[in-house]
Amino acid sequence: MFLPLAGLVLAGGPAYATVYLTVAQAQQLMFPGATFQQEFKTLDHNQIKEIEHLSGVHVLSNQLRAWRASTGGWFLVDEVVGKHDFIPFALALDNKGKVKGIEILEYREAYGSQIRDPLWQRQFAGNGPDAKLRLGRNIRNISGATLSCKHITDGVERLLVTYEVVLKPAGD
Amino acid sequence: MKSCSSLPVIERAQPWLGTLVSIRVEGVPAEEAHRAMDAAFAEIAAVHRRMSFHSPKSDVSRLNREAMRGPVAVHSSTYSVLQCAQECARRSQGCFDISVAAELVRRGVLPPPQQAAHPGGGSWRDIELLPDGSVFFHRPLWIDVGGIAKGFAVDCASERLAALGIARSVVNAGGDIRVRGTDAELVRLSAPSSGQMAPVLELSEGSIAGSCAAPRSEAREELAHSVHLHGARRQTASAGRFVCVIAERCMTADALTKVVMAQGADSAALLLEYEASAWIKDSGCHWQHLGMEIA
Repeated sequence: MFLPLAGLVLAGGPAYATVYLTVAQAQQLMFPGATFQQEFKTLDHNQIKEIEHLSGVHVLSNQLRAWRASTGGWFLVDEVVGKHDFIPFALALDNKGKVKGIEILEYREAYGSQIRDPLWQRQFAGNGPDAKLRLGRNIRNISGATLSCKHITDGVERLLVTYEVVLKPAGD
Repeated sequence: MKSCSSLPVIERAQPWLGTLVSIRVEGVPAEEAHRAMDAAFAEIAAVHRRMSFHSPKSDVSRLNREAMRGPVAVHSSTYSVLQCAQECARRSQGCFDISVAAELVRRGVLPPPQQAAHPGGGSWRDIELLPDGSVFFHRPLWIDVGGIAKGFAVDCASERLAALGIARSVVNAGGDIRVRGTDAELVRLSAPSSGQMAPVLELSEGSIAGSCAAPRSEAREELAHSVHLHGARRQTASAGRFVCVIAERCMTADALTKVVMAQGADSAALLLEYEASAWIKDSGCHWQHLGMEIA
Protein backbone atom coordinates (compact mmCIF):
# COMPACT_ATOMS: atom_id res chain seq x y z
CA MET A 1 0.00 0.00 0.00
CA PHE A 2 2.71 2.49 0.95
CA LEU A 3 6.13 2.96 -0.50
CA PRO A 4 9.09 2.34 1.77
CA LEU A 5 10.13 5.20 3.93
CA ALA A 6 13.68 6.20 4.44
CA GLY A 7 15.49 8.98 6.15
CA LEU A 8 18.05 11.48 5.08
CA VAL A 9 19.11 14.76 6.49
CA LEU A 10 18.90 18.23 5.17
CA ALA A 11 21.59 20.76 5.54
CA GLY A 12 20.90 24.45 5.31
CA GLY A 13 20.63 25.60 1.74
CA PRO A 14 18.75 27.96 -0.50
CA ALA A 15 15.18 28.78 0.36
CA TYR A 16 12.54 27.03 -1.67
CA ALA A 17 9.74 29.05 -3.23
CA THR A 18 6.47 27.82 -4.67
CA VAL A 19 4.85 30.14 -7.14
CA TYR A 20 1.21 29.07 -7.24
CA LEU A 21 -0.27 31.65 -9.57
CA THR A 22 0.78 34.79 -11.40
CA VAL A 23 -1.43 37.85 -11.02
CA ALA A 24 -2.87 37.30 -14.51
CA GLN A 25 -3.60 33.62 -13.82
CA ALA A 26 -5.32 34.47 -10.52
CA GLN A 27 -7.42 37.14 -12.29
CA GLN A 28 -8.67 34.67 -14.89
CA LEU A 29 -9.42 31.99 -12.27
CA MET A 30 -11.31 34.30 -9.98
CA PHE A 31 -13.16 36.28 -12.70
CA PRO A 32 -13.36 33.94 -15.72
CA GLY A 33 -13.60 35.81 -19.02
CA ALA A 34 -13.35 39.27 -17.45
CA THR A 35 -11.07 42.12 -18.50
CA PHE A 36 -9.39 44.23 -15.83
CA GLN A 37 -8.87 47.92 -15.36
CA GLN A 38 -5.94 48.76 -13.11
CA GLU A 39 -6.89 51.29 -10.42
CA PHE A 40 -3.91 51.43 -8.07
CA LYS A 41 -4.28 53.90 -5.24
CA THR A 42 -2.08 55.49 -2.62
CA LEU A 43 -3.75 55.56 0.78
CA ASP A 44 -3.46 58.87 2.61
CA HIS A 45 -2.76 59.22 6.31
CA ASN A 46 -6.42 59.57 7.29
CA GLN A 47 -7.47 56.53 5.26
CA ILE A 48 -4.74 54.42 6.87
CA LYS A 49 -5.82 55.56 10.34
CA GLU A 50 -9.45 54.75 9.56
CA ILE A 51 -8.59 51.30 8.12
CA GLU A 52 -6.45 50.47 11.15
CA HIS A 53 -9.17 51.66 13.51
CA LEU A 54 -11.99 49.71 11.81
CA SER A 55 -10.05 46.49 11.12
CA GLY A 56 -7.78 46.44 14.15
CA VAL A 57 -4.98 45.41 11.76
CA HIS A 58 -1.80 47.38 11.14
CA VAL A 59 -1.44 48.76 7.57
CA LEU A 60 2.07 47.97 6.31
CA SER A 61 1.92 49.70 2.94
CA ASN A 62 0.13 52.77 1.66
CA GLN A 63 -0.10 51.21 -1.81
CA LEU A 64 -3.39 49.56 -2.77
CA ARG A 65 -3.12 47.29 -5.81
CA ALA A 66 -6.67 47.03 -7.12
CA TRP A 67 -8.19 46.08 -10.48
CA ARG A 68 -11.83 46.58 -11.46
CA ALA A 69 -13.28 43.48 -13.15
CA SER A 70 -15.46 44.04 -16.24
CA THR A 71 -17.93 41.45 -14.92
CA GLY A 72 -18.36 43.35 -11.64
CA GLY A 73 -16.28 43.27 -8.50
CA TRP A 74 -12.68 43.93 -7.57
CA PHE A 75 -9.44 41.99 -7.71
CA LEU A 76 -6.89 42.99 -5.05
CA VAL A 77 -3.30 41.89 -4.53
CA ASP A 78 -1.64 42.32 -1.16
CA GLU A 79 0.84 40.57 1.11
CA VAL A 80 1.16 39.59 4.74
CA VAL A 81 4.08 38.63 6.94
CA GLY A 82 4.67 34.86 6.86
CA LYS A 83 6.95 32.62 8.89
CA HIS A 84 9.99 33.22 6.69
CA ASP A 85 8.99 35.84 4.19
CA PHE A 86 6.07 37.88 2.89
CA ILE A 87 3.14 35.88 1.54
CA PRO A 88 1.54 37.58 -1.49
CA PHE A 89 -2.12 36.76 -2.01
CA ALA A 90 -5.05 37.75 -4.21
CA LEU A 91 -8.52 38.61 -2.95
CA ALA A 92 -11.57 38.68 -5.23
CA LEU A 93 -14.54 40.74 -4.09
CA ASP A 94 -17.99 40.65 -5.70
CA ASN A 95 -19.79 43.86 -6.61
CA LYS A 96 -21.16 44.10 -3.05
CA GLY A 97 -17.66 43.91 -1.53
CA LYS A 98 -18.13 40.32 -0.29
CA VAL A 99 -15.31 37.74 -0.52
CA LYS A 100 -15.51 35.70 -3.72
CA GLY A 101 -12.22 33.91 -3.27
CA ILE A 102 -8.69 34.01 -1.86
CA GLU A 103 -5.66 32.56 -3.62
CA ILE A 104 -2.12 32.47 -2.25
CA LEU A 105 0.17 33.61 -5.07
CA GLU A 106 3.52 32.52 -3.71
CA TYR A 107 5.00 30.81 -0.68
CA ARG A 108 8.65 30.80 0.30
CA GLU A 109 10.08 28.41 2.84
CA ALA A 110 13.65 27.63 3.92
CA TYR A 111 13.60 23.91 3.05
CA GLY A 112 17.27 23.53 2.36
CA SER A 113 19.21 21.20 0.15
CA GLN A 114 19.59 17.49 0.63
CA ILE A 115 22.55 15.54 1.94
CA ARG A 116 22.41 11.82 2.64
CA ASP A 117 23.50 10.62 6.06
CA PRO A 118 23.70 6.81 6.35
CA LEU A 119 24.16 6.85 10.13
CA TRP A 120 21.01 8.79 10.59
CA GLN A 121 19.17 6.51 8.17
CA ARG A 122 19.87 3.45 10.30
CA GLN A 123 17.78 4.93 13.08
CA PHE A 124 14.70 4.04 11.09
CA ALA A 125 13.28 0.59 11.65
CA GLY A 126 11.89 -1.18 8.61
CA ASN A 127 14.24 0.66 6.35
CA GLY A 128 15.24 -1.98 3.81
CA PRO A 129 18.20 -1.78 1.45
CA ASP A 130 15.91 -0.68 -1.38
CA ALA A 131 14.47 2.16 0.61
CA LYS A 132 16.48 4.85 -1.08
CA LEU A 133 15.20 8.33 -1.39
CA ARG A 134 15.58 9.79 -4.79
CA LEU A 135 17.75 12.80 -4.32
CA GLY A 136 17.73 15.98 -6.28
CA ARG A 137 13.99 16.42 -6.17
CA ASN A 138 12.42 19.33 -4.45
CA ILE A 139 10.87 18.77 -1.08
CA ARG A 140 7.55 20.49 -1.39
CA ASN A 141 5.88 19.22 1.77
CA ILE A 142 6.49 19.70 5.43
CA SER A 143 4.67 17.90 8.22
CA GLY A 144 4.51 18.56 11.93
CA ALA A 145 4.61 22.33 12.01
CA THR A 146 1.14 23.57 11.26
CA LEU A 147 1.36 27.02 9.81
CA SER A 148 -1.26 29.39 11.12
CA CYS A 149 -3.12 31.44 8.53
CA LYS A 150 -4.03 34.12 11.06
CA HIS A 151 -1.97 36.76 9.24
CA ILE A 152 -3.80 36.03 6.00
CA THR A 153 -7.19 36.18 7.73
CA ASP A 154 -6.14 39.53 9.24
CA GLY A 155 -4.96 40.73 5.82
CA VAL A 156 -8.32 39.85 4.26
CA GLU A 157 -10.14 41.68 7.07
CA ARG A 158 -7.95 44.74 6.46
CA LEU A 159 -8.73 44.66 2.70
CA LEU A 160 -12.47 44.30 3.32
CA VAL A 161 -12.31 47.48 5.40
CA THR A 162 -10.08 49.12 2.77
CA TYR A 163 -12.80 48.41 0.20
CA GLU A 164 -15.38 50.12 2.42
CA VAL A 165 -13.14 53.13 3.03
CA VAL A 166 -11.54 53.56 -0.41
CA LEU A 167 -13.22 51.61 -3.25
CA LYS A 168 -16.91 51.33 -2.42
CA PRO A 169 -19.03 53.67 -4.56
CA ALA A 170 -20.55 56.51 -2.52
CA GLY A 171 -24.21 55.97 -1.64
CA ASP A 172 -24.01 52.13 -1.74
CA MET B 1 -1.42 13.56 -28.43
CA LYS B 2 0.49 15.35 -25.70
CA SER B 3 2.66 13.22 -23.48
CA CYS B 4 2.11 13.39 -19.74
CA SER B 5 5.51 14.92 -19.14
CA SER B 6 4.66 18.00 -21.17
CA LEU B 7 1.59 18.68 -19.09
CA PRO B 8 2.07 21.30 -16.39
CA VAL B 9 2.18 20.73 -12.65
CA ILE B 10 -0.54 22.93 -11.25
CA GLU B 11 -0.49 23.92 -7.59
CA ARG B 12 -2.69 26.34 -5.68
CA ALA B 13 -3.07 27.31 -2.02
CA GLN B 14 -5.89 28.87 -0.05
CA PRO B 15 -6.37 29.63 3.65
CA TRP B 16 -8.83 27.18 5.25
CA LEU B 17 -9.17 25.31 8.56
CA GLY B 18 -6.89 27.82 10.26
CA THR B 19 -3.94 26.94 8.06
CA LEU B 20 -2.77 26.98 4.45
CA VAL B 21 -4.23 24.24 2.27
CA SER B 22 -2.38 23.44 -0.93
CA ILE B 23 -3.45 21.15 -3.74
CA ARG B 24 -1.17 19.92 -6.50
CA VAL B 25 -2.40 18.16 -9.61
CA GLU B 26 -0.28 16.60 -12.34
CA GLY B 27 -0.84 14.94 -15.67
CA VAL B 28 -3.87 16.85 -16.97
CA PRO B 29 -4.25 20.05 -18.98
CA ALA B 30 -4.29 23.26 -16.92
CA GLU B 31 -7.97 24.05 -17.47
CA GLU B 32 -9.07 20.59 -16.35
CA ALA B 33 -6.69 20.75 -13.37
CA HIS B 34 -8.13 24.08 -12.21
CA ARG B 35 -11.72 22.88 -12.55
CA ALA B 36 -10.92 19.80 -10.45
CA MET B 37 -9.06 21.91 -7.88
CA ASP B 38 -11.99 24.32 -7.60
CA ALA B 39 -14.19 21.33 -6.72
CA ALA B 40 -11.59 19.97 -4.26
CA PHE B 41 -11.21 23.36 -2.52
CA ALA B 42 -15.02 23.54 -2.29
CA GLU B 43 -14.93 20.25 -0.34
CA ILE B 44 -12.39 21.75 2.08
CA ALA B 45 -14.46 24.92 2.44
CA ALA B 46 -17.55 22.85 3.27
CA VAL B 47 -15.70 20.99 6.05
CA HIS B 48 -14.42 24.35 7.32
CA ARG B 49 -17.97 25.76 7.47
CA ARG B 50 -19.54 22.69 9.11
CA MET B 51 -16.88 21.76 11.64
CA SER B 52 -15.34 25.02 12.85
CA PHE B 53 -15.24 25.42 16.63
CA HIS B 54 -15.08 29.20 16.17
CA SER B 55 -17.98 29.85 13.79
CA PRO B 56 -21.32 30.05 15.65
CA LYS B 57 -23.16 28.66 12.60
CA SER B 58 -21.16 25.42 12.28
CA ASP B 59 -22.58 22.00 13.14
CA VAL B 60 -20.02 21.75 15.94
CA SER B 61 -21.13 25.05 17.51
CA ARG B 62 -24.80 24.07 17.24
CA LEU B 63 -23.99 20.79 19.00
CA ASN B 64 -22.09 22.59 21.76
CA ARG B 65 -25.08 24.89 22.32
CA GLU B 66 -28.04 22.59 21.79
CA ALA B 67 -27.23 18.86 21.81
CA MET B 68 -27.60 18.52 25.57
CA ARG B 69 -31.24 19.63 25.29
CA GLY B 70 -32.23 17.19 22.56
CA PRO B 71 -31.04 15.50 19.34
CA VAL B 72 -29.51 17.92 16.81
CA ALA B 73 -29.44 17.05 13.09
CA VAL B 74 -26.03 17.53 11.47
CA HIS B 75 -24.70 17.18 7.93
CA SER B 76 -23.80 13.61 6.96
CA SER B 77 -20.10 14.55 6.69
CA THR B 78 -20.09 15.93 10.26
CA TYR B 79 -21.79 12.72 11.35
CA SER B 80 -19.08 10.66 9.60
CA VAL B 81 -16.32 12.59 11.38
CA LEU B 82 -18.06 12.09 14.73
CA GLN B 83 -18.43 8.36 14.02
CA CYS B 84 -14.72 8.11 13.27
CA ALA B 85 -13.86 10.16 16.39
CA GLN B 86 -16.03 7.95 18.61
CA GLU B 87 -14.53 4.80 17.13
CA CYS B 88 -11.02 6.10 17.82
CA ALA B 89 -12.08 7.10 21.36
CA ARG B 90 -13.44 3.59 21.98
CA ARG B 91 -10.38 1.84 20.58
CA SER B 92 -7.97 4.10 22.48
CA GLN B 93 -9.95 3.85 25.76
CA GLY B 94 -10.63 7.55 25.69
CA CYS B 95 -7.12 8.74 24.93
CA PHE B 96 -8.60 10.34 21.82
CA ASP B 97 -11.57 12.37 23.02
CA ILE B 98 -13.18 15.28 21.16
CA SER B 99 -14.72 16.52 24.42
CA VAL B 100 -11.30 17.78 25.59
CA ALA B 101 -12.39 21.13 24.11
CA ALA B 102 -13.55 22.23 27.58
CA GLU B 103 -10.04 21.69 28.93
CA LEU B 104 -8.54 23.48 25.90
CA VAL B 105 -10.85 26.44 26.56
CA ARG B 106 -9.80 26.43 30.22
CA ARG B 107 -6.16 26.55 29.11
CA GLY B 108 -6.84 29.42 26.72
CA VAL B 109 -6.09 27.37 23.57
CA LEU B 110 -9.67 27.73 22.31
CA PRO B 111 -12.11 30.60 22.93
CA PRO B 112 -15.21 29.79 25.00
CA PRO B 113 -18.17 28.95 22.72
CA GLN B 114 -20.98 31.48 22.84
CA GLN B 115 -24.25 30.72 24.63
CA ALA B 116 -23.21 27.17 25.44
CA ALA B 117 -23.73 25.78 28.95
CA HIS B 118 -20.44 25.17 30.70
CA PRO B 119 -19.62 21.46 30.82
CA GLY B 120 -18.97 19.83 34.16
CA GLY B 121 -16.95 16.70 33.56
CA GLY B 122 -18.27 14.37 30.89
CA SER B 123 -16.44 12.61 28.10
CA TRP B 124 -16.84 11.01 24.67
CA ARG B 125 -19.08 8.40 26.34
CA ASP B 126 -21.75 11.09 26.79
CA ILE B 127 -22.01 11.63 23.02
CA GLU B 128 -24.73 9.58 21.34
CA LEU B 129 -24.90 9.28 17.56
CA LEU B 130 -28.50 8.41 16.74
CA PRO B 131 -29.42 6.21 13.78
CA ASP B 132 -31.40 9.05 12.13
CA GLY B 133 -28.19 11.09 11.68
CA SER B 134 -28.69 13.37 14.66
CA VAL B 135 -26.50 13.76 17.74
CA PHE B 136 -27.39 13.93 21.43
CA PHE B 137 -25.20 14.83 24.41
CA HIS B 138 -26.21 13.15 27.68
CA ARG B 139 -24.71 16.08 29.62
CA PRO B 140 -23.35 19.52 28.68
CA LEU B 141 -20.20 19.03 26.58
CA TRP B 142 -17.91 21.11 24.42
CA ILE B 143 -16.52 19.17 21.51
CA ASP B 144 -13.82 20.19 19.06
CA VAL B 145 -13.08 18.06 16.00
CA GLY B 146 -9.93 20.05 15.20
CA GLY B 147 -7.87 16.90 15.84
CA ILE B 148 -9.50 15.01 12.99
CA ALA B 149 -11.34 17.39 10.64
CA LYS B 150 -8.23 18.57 8.77
CA GLY B 151 -7.45 14.98 7.87
CA PHE B 152 -11.07 14.42 6.87
CA ALA B 153 -11.04 17.54 4.67
CA VAL B 154 -7.85 16.33 2.98
CA ASP B 155 -9.49 12.94 2.29
CA CYS B 156 -12.63 14.62 0.87
CA ALA B 157 -10.55 16.81 -1.47
CA SER B 158 -8.32 13.92 -2.53
CA GLU B 159 -11.32 11.65 -3.20
CA ARG B 160 -13.03 14.39 -5.19
CA LEU B 161 -9.95 14.79 -7.39
CA ALA B 162 -9.80 11.02 -7.96
CA ALA B 163 -13.52 10.94 -8.83
CA LEU B 164 -12.86 13.65 -11.42
CA GLY B 165 -10.25 11.44 -13.06
CA ILE B 166 -7.12 13.04 -11.59
CA ALA B 167 -4.67 10.18 -11.05
CA ARG B 168 -1.82 12.15 -9.48
CA SER B 169 -2.48 14.63 -6.71
CA VAL B 170 -1.14 15.89 -3.40
CA VAL B 171 -3.44 17.60 -0.89
CA ASN B 172 -1.73 19.25 2.07
CA ALA B 173 -3.60 20.97 4.93
CA GLY B 174 -0.92 22.41 7.17
CA GLY B 175 1.13 19.21 7.17
CA ASP B 176 -1.72 16.68 6.99
CA ILE B 177 -0.96 15.26 3.57
CA ARG B 178 -2.53 12.72 1.22
CA VAL B 179 -0.68 11.55 -1.88
CA ARG B 180 -2.22 9.77 -4.86
CA GLY B 181 -0.33 8.49 -7.85
CA THR B 182 2.67 6.35 -8.53
CA ASP B 183 5.50 8.80 -7.89
CA ALA B 184 6.63 9.13 -4.31
CA GLU B 185 6.43 12.45 -2.57
CA LEU B 186 9.15 13.77 -0.26
CA VAL B 187 7.89 15.08 3.05
CA ARG B 188 10.13 16.92 5.45
CA LEU B 189 9.37 16.27 9.11
CA SER B 190 9.74 19.36 11.24
CA ALA B 191 11.05 17.43 14.23
CA PRO B 192 13.28 19.36 16.59
CA SER B 193 16.86 18.56 15.61
CA SER B 194 20.35 19.76 16.20
CA GLY B 195 21.71 22.28 13.76
CA GLN B 196 19.93 22.48 10.46
CA MET B 197 19.39 18.75 10.02
CA ALA B 198 15.90 17.48 9.39
CA PRO B 199 14.47 14.09 8.43
CA VAL B 200 12.60 13.39 5.21
CA LEU B 201 10.13 10.62 4.42
CA GLU B 202 9.02 9.33 1.07
CA LEU B 203 5.36 8.57 0.63
CA SER B 204 3.13 7.30 -2.13
CA GLU B 205 -0.55 6.27 -2.10
CA GLY B 206 -1.09 7.21 1.48
CA SER B 207 -1.33 9.89 4.10
CA ILE B 208 0.90 11.42 6.70
CA ALA B 209 0.11 13.64 9.65
CA GLY B 210 2.72 15.09 11.95
CA SER B 211 2.67 16.86 15.27
CA CYS B 212 5.14 18.35 17.68
CA ALA B 213 4.56 18.97 21.39
CA ALA B 214 5.77 22.22 22.92
CA PRO B 215 9.44 21.93 23.90
CA ARG B 216 10.45 22.10 27.55
CA SER B 217 12.83 24.97 26.90
CA GLU B 218 10.02 27.32 25.98
CA ALA B 219 8.93 28.03 29.58
CA ARG B 220 6.23 26.38 31.57
CA GLU B 221 3.34 28.44 30.18
CA GLU B 222 3.94 26.91 26.77
CA LEU B 223 3.22 23.45 28.14
CA ALA B 224 0.10 24.69 29.89
CA HIS B 225 -1.13 25.91 26.52
CA SER B 226 -0.22 22.68 24.72
CA VAL B 227 -2.93 21.40 22.43
CA HIS B 228 -1.79 17.83 23.08
CA LEU B 229 -3.81 16.28 25.85
CA HIS B 230 -4.47 12.70 26.88
CA GLY B 231 -8.26 12.50 26.59
CA ALA B 232 -8.81 10.31 29.64
CA ARG B 233 -6.04 11.60 31.91
CA ARG B 234 -6.08 15.18 30.56
CA GLN B 235 -2.27 15.30 30.82
CA THR B 236 -0.06 17.08 28.31
CA ALA B 237 2.28 15.10 26.05
CA SER B 238 6.03 14.73 26.67
CA ALA B 239 7.74 18.06 26.07
CA GLY B 240 9.36 18.30 22.65
CA ARG B 241 7.99 14.97 21.42
CA PHE B 242 7.57 14.73 17.65
CA VAL B 243 5.17 12.23 16.13
CA CYS B 244 4.21 11.38 12.60
CA VAL B 245 1.68 8.77 11.57
CA ILE B 246 1.32 7.13 8.15
CA ALA B 247 -2.01 5.58 7.18
CA GLU B 248 -4.05 5.12 4.08
CA ARG B 249 -6.61 7.78 5.02
CA CYS B 250 -5.52 11.18 6.26
CA MET B 251 -8.32 11.31 8.85
CA THR B 252 -6.91 8.14 10.45
CA ALA B 253 -3.37 9.54 10.43
CA ASP B 254 -4.58 12.85 11.88
CA ALA B 255 -6.53 11.22 14.74
CA LEU B 256 -3.76 8.74 15.56
CA THR B 257 -1.10 11.45 15.93
CA LYS B 258 -3.01 12.58 19.04
CA VAL B 259 -3.00 9.08 20.52
CA VAL B 260 0.67 8.42 19.74
CA MET B 261 1.58 11.86 21.09
CA ALA B 262 -0.16 11.07 24.39
CA GLN B 263 0.68 7.36 24.76
CA GLY B 264 4.02 6.92 23.00
CA ALA B 265 5.01 3.27 22.64
CA ASP B 266 1.76 2.14 24.29
CA SER B 267 -0.08 3.01 21.08
CA ALA B 268 1.63 0.26 19.03
CA ALA B 269 -1.31 -2.16 19.17
CA LEU B 270 -3.79 0.54 18.16
CA LEU B 271 -1.60 1.49 15.20
CA LEU B 272 -1.65 -2.13 14.04
CA GLU B 273 -5.45 -2.23 14.39
CA TYR B 274 -5.65 0.77 12.07
CA GLU B 275 -2.94 -0.62 9.73
CA ALA B 276 -0.93 2.49 10.47
CA SER B 277 2.68 3.22 11.18
CA ALA B 278 4.29 5.86 13.36
CA TRP B 279 7.66 7.39 14.08
CA ILE B 280 8.33 9.12 17.38
CA LYS B 281 11.26 11.27 18.37
CA ASP B 282 11.63 12.24 22.01
CA SER B 283 14.18 14.88 22.86
CA GLY B 284 17.57 13.31 23.46
CA CYS B 285 16.45 9.92 22.08
CA HIS B 286 16.69 8.09 18.77
CA TRP B 287 13.73 7.69 16.46
CA GLN B 288 11.33 4.95 17.42
CA HIS B 289 9.11 3.11 14.97
CA LEU B 290 5.71 1.73 15.99
CA GLY B 291 2.92 -0.14 14.27
CA MET B 292 2.88 -1.61 10.80
CA GLU B 293 6.22 -2.33 9.17
CA ILE B 294 6.69 -0.44 5.95
CA ALA B 295 9.55 -1.80 3.93
